[in-house]
Amino acid sequence: MAWYHRLRNTMRPEGLSSELDRELEFHLAERVDELVAGGMTEEEARREARLRFGNPAVQKERTRDRDILPWLESLAADVRYALRSLRASPGFAVVAILSLGLAIGANTAIFSLIDAVMLRSLPVERPEELVRVTTPARSGGVGEGGDNFTNPLWEALRDRQDVFSGAFATADERFDLAGGGVSRPVAGAWVSGGYFSTLGVRPAAGRLVAPADDYRGCPPVAVVGHGFWRGAYGGSPDVVGKTLSLNGHPFEIVGVAAAGFSGVHVGRAAEVYVPLCAMPIVQGGDDSLDERSTWFLNVFGRRRPGMTTDDAGRRLAALAPAVFGATVPEDWPTEAKEGYRRTTLSAVPAANGYSDVRGRYQDALVALMAAVGLVLLIGCANVANLLLARASSRRHEVAVRLAIGAGRGRLVRQFLTESLLLSLLGAAVGLLLAAAATRLLVRYVAMRGERGEAVWLDLSLDGRVLAFTLLVATATAILFGLVPAWRSARVDPRGAMKANDRSIVEGHSRFGVGKALVVGQIALSLVLVVSAGLLLGTFRRLATLDPGFEPGGVLLASVDMGNAGIPEEAVPRVKREILERVRAAPGVESASASVFTPLSGGGWNGMVEVDGYTPASPLDAEVFFNGVSDGFFATLGAALLAGRDFDEGDGAESPPVAIVNESFMKKFFHGANPVGRRVTIKGLFAGDDEVLQVVGVVRDTKYRSMREEPEPLVFRPLGQLGGPDRPSLELELRGRGAASALVRTVTGAVGEVNGSFSIRYRTLESQMDASLARERMLATLSGLFGGLALLLAAVGLYGTMAYSVARRRNEIGIRIALGAARARVMRLVLGEAGRLLVAGLLLGGAGALVATRWVAPFLFGVAPSDPATWAISALALAAVSVAACALPAWRAARLDPNAVLRAE
Amino acid sequence: MTEQRPRRNDVLQGTLALLVLRTLSAQGPMHGYAITSHIQRVSADLLRVEEGSLYPALHRMEQDGWLRSEWGTTEKNRQARFYSITPAGEAQLAAERESWERLTEGVGRVLRYA
Repeated sequence: MAWYHRLRNTMRPEGLSSELDRELEFHLAERVDELVAGGMTEEEARREARLRFGNPAVQKERTRDRDILPWLESLAADVRYALRSLRASPGFAVVAILSLGLAIGANTAIFSLIDAVMLRSLPVERPEELVRVTTPARSGGVGEGGDNFTNPLWEALRDRQDVFSGAFATADERFDLAGGGVSRPVAGAWVSGGYFSTLGVRPAAGRLVAPADDYRGCPPVAVVGHGFWRGAYGGSPDVVGKTLSLNGHPFEIVGVAAAGFSGVHVGRAAEVYVPLCAMPIVQGGDDSLDERSTWFLNVFGRRRPGMTTDDAGRRLAALAPAVFGATVPEDWPTEAKEGYRRTTLSAVPAANGYSDVRGRYQDALVALMAAVGLVLLIGCANVANLLLARASSRRHEVAVRLAIGAGRGRLVRQFLTESLLLSLLGAAVGLLLAAAATRLLVRYVAMRGERGEAVWLDLSLDGRVLAFTLLVATATAILFGLVPAWRSARVDPRGAMKANDRSIVEGHSRFGVGKALVVGQIALSLVLVVSAGLLLGTFRRLATLDPGFEPGGVLLASVDMGNAGIPEEAVPRVKREILERVRAAPGVESASASVFTPLSGGGWNGMVEVDGYTPASPLDAEVFFNGVSDGFFATLGAALLAGRDFDEGDGAESPPVAIVNESFMKKFFHGANPVGRRVTIKGLFAGDDEVLQVVGVVRDTKYRSMREEPEPLVFRPLGQLGGPDRPSLELELRGRGAASALVRTVTGAVGEVNGSFSIRYRTLESQMDASLARERMLATLSGLFGGLALLLAAVGLYGTMAYSVARRRNEIGIRIALGAARARVMRLVLGEAGRLLVAGLLLGGAGALVATRWVAPFLFGVAPSDPATWAISALALAAVSVAACALPAWRAARLDPNAVLRAE
Repeated sequence: MTEQRPRRNDVLQGTLALLVLRTLSAQGPMHGYAITSHIQRVSADLLRVEEGSLYPALHRMEQDGWLRSEWGTTEKNRQARFYSITPAGEAQLAAERESWERLTEGVGRVLRYA
């Protein structure tokens, strides 16, 4: 109540003051009236009234005493006093602020990642109104379903919908800025006409893509992102009207999107926005706009005011039959068409856009948040311990203040002010650290998208992160400040003033809290160190896992022939020519082509039938495929176990053949040599089945991710895959030296075939690395936090033991004087530390049992109860603890009894 | 300044709140001046509220939630702040009244029998 009034009074000090004046004036006036009525002259009456009242200024002061000013003044005094006392002991201040800064900084860093990946709304108008259109679980339908749509579906929905005030479709694209040779990729997005208007994004220059730009056969125009505009055009306004080459085609830049906007895909910043209708221009005739089974668009809408997401979902579901009915893929079998028609629509909130990074990193980030929370607790324990020790040395000061009349509440308040000041300074340090750390994190250790691409996140400091840091700092201050403050104020002035504490043996009660804190620190550190150890073990195991091939020295190249306008029937011949030229290039030992390069994240699966194998379920017959040229296994260094590799003869006209891997042989042929046997690949529809003859068996190789168990795989010759041959080619190249040394000669060789082909390079090793990005991030960060925890715990233990030795100087001095051996004194100190360590390890062991169950989903090849990890963690803690105690123990043993006893 | 003035029958510290609460409870909303006059009149000039203490007391009681106040116009057409008692104030009044009665009874017994 009193707070409220103070606050209210502060809000309007003027008003308060004048109200008081008016009230007192009224009183005087009434009194004067009365006195005049009693016969006094007006002047006498006025004098008398004032005298009766007393000095109005004093009166006002006394009344205002209930107000905010004195309170603020005493707060300011507290802060001044706290600053002075921190300045007086800079060592304490620096250690405390740094511990807190590291711990709070770690929390802020991880929280700002969580904020950027999971919480932050898109920087658009009223983001909460955005919803994403989805197709919930299809009933017996065929096709990918889920979150993507075909363009015919989108157009049907766009033309029929009355659900949204605006709707748009978008898809990611990687455009190539170079006209040929080594590609210069830029992240872009296909957008429908309503994209910017629905989102409410404004142009920073020129104009944005509008509904009028979105019609079949539209001219090539593009909008560039603000960052790209600044980077590539120096932010010059005459960018409008300039030409941008995308995949070798000229596009006119019509405008620049507003600063801060980078598309609706969180984790990927679009730099170039191109209307959907320009797809045929970029893809050269082979466009996806009319394909009824190419699912690539993400569809969003803006709810009309007053409509909930559920309402929108229901109205979309009502539209679904018409939308799907109008776009049935003609070439699908009847039964699949039926399933297609039955597909329905739904809506999910999309205020924060969509993101594959979110799905991949959500759990890891939450786990890391828990880890940094523990680090913060350890840091708090440290500062609490420091404060306790300090409180003991300030007993005298406290006693004096109590003796001259300070209230205990006032003292507690003052100590808490000091704590708050410490943690706010810590938070300031933490914010600085976090700002630097998050950027480094994202760039070097952290995240990779689905295809291993770098992740871009908006990490600018927002209100939520600031509020989080402030909240953490305040909570921290209370956590570490309350107990010491309360204990300090409980000092008995008589006892503390008397005799300066010259007792022989230090009582244990005062010290119990400090020791309990150290035990807690050791326990929490063990939890963190064990978890970090398991995650590091996981990463080490994955990184050193045999992928089944030899990645060293292998260069991967993606050749995009889309710009060159090669007629479709010529594509297979051109691809063969590229492969031949590359094989002949100097430095290239062997080269091959494939549909997927290993561990690129992509995959292709289907059902098989093998005589003599009865699948337990339809899923049990599912295997993965890859299409490869001859020389694929030799280039990767994957051993052929039986049979032969593909060769020139395995073309479209020759009998279909396959090479299977070991796992396939074990599962479907029960380990018998399958060369010469048949494998039937079930087509999507009846009558599409293909029968292949197995010609070889290859070692198991990792296919999509390092974590996967060996899976049955079927390799087929590129020339026998059928279907349209896309004008792009994935190459694997092995050279005699380093992989990167091949880039020049390969670029030259491809350029001889056609100068406008563009090529993107990476090494197989870097692709493997990218596939372990999440594991690396978890291992690096948890290792870092585990180390931080160890450091903080060591500081805490050192402080406690050093302090304990200092307080026991008298006792130890007397022991030595009475003939105790120095070794015994050291044992005394180390024994005390040892008891704390053992208690902490036991407690921490129990905690780690729980924590490792949480960590288990992230592990690979390491059991949560892995004895080696546990033992090493406990040993590490013990070693650090001994190191932390060595100095205090040594000091105790070197104590000169004469000096101690003479000290008085 | 007030220190130098003779302090006849000034209201005992601590009883001022009781008197104010009782006055407002019985008389309804009143401004500060009327409260002092009322207490003086009803106590037949036995009690006199020290004017310098009244307003701090009123403000404190308002902050404690026992009183509320609003500006109004007196019959002489002056602007004055009128105080009235809140339910919390009534409860406080009952409590203070009881403790006062016990005190006076106790003191009376001592004077009579000790």
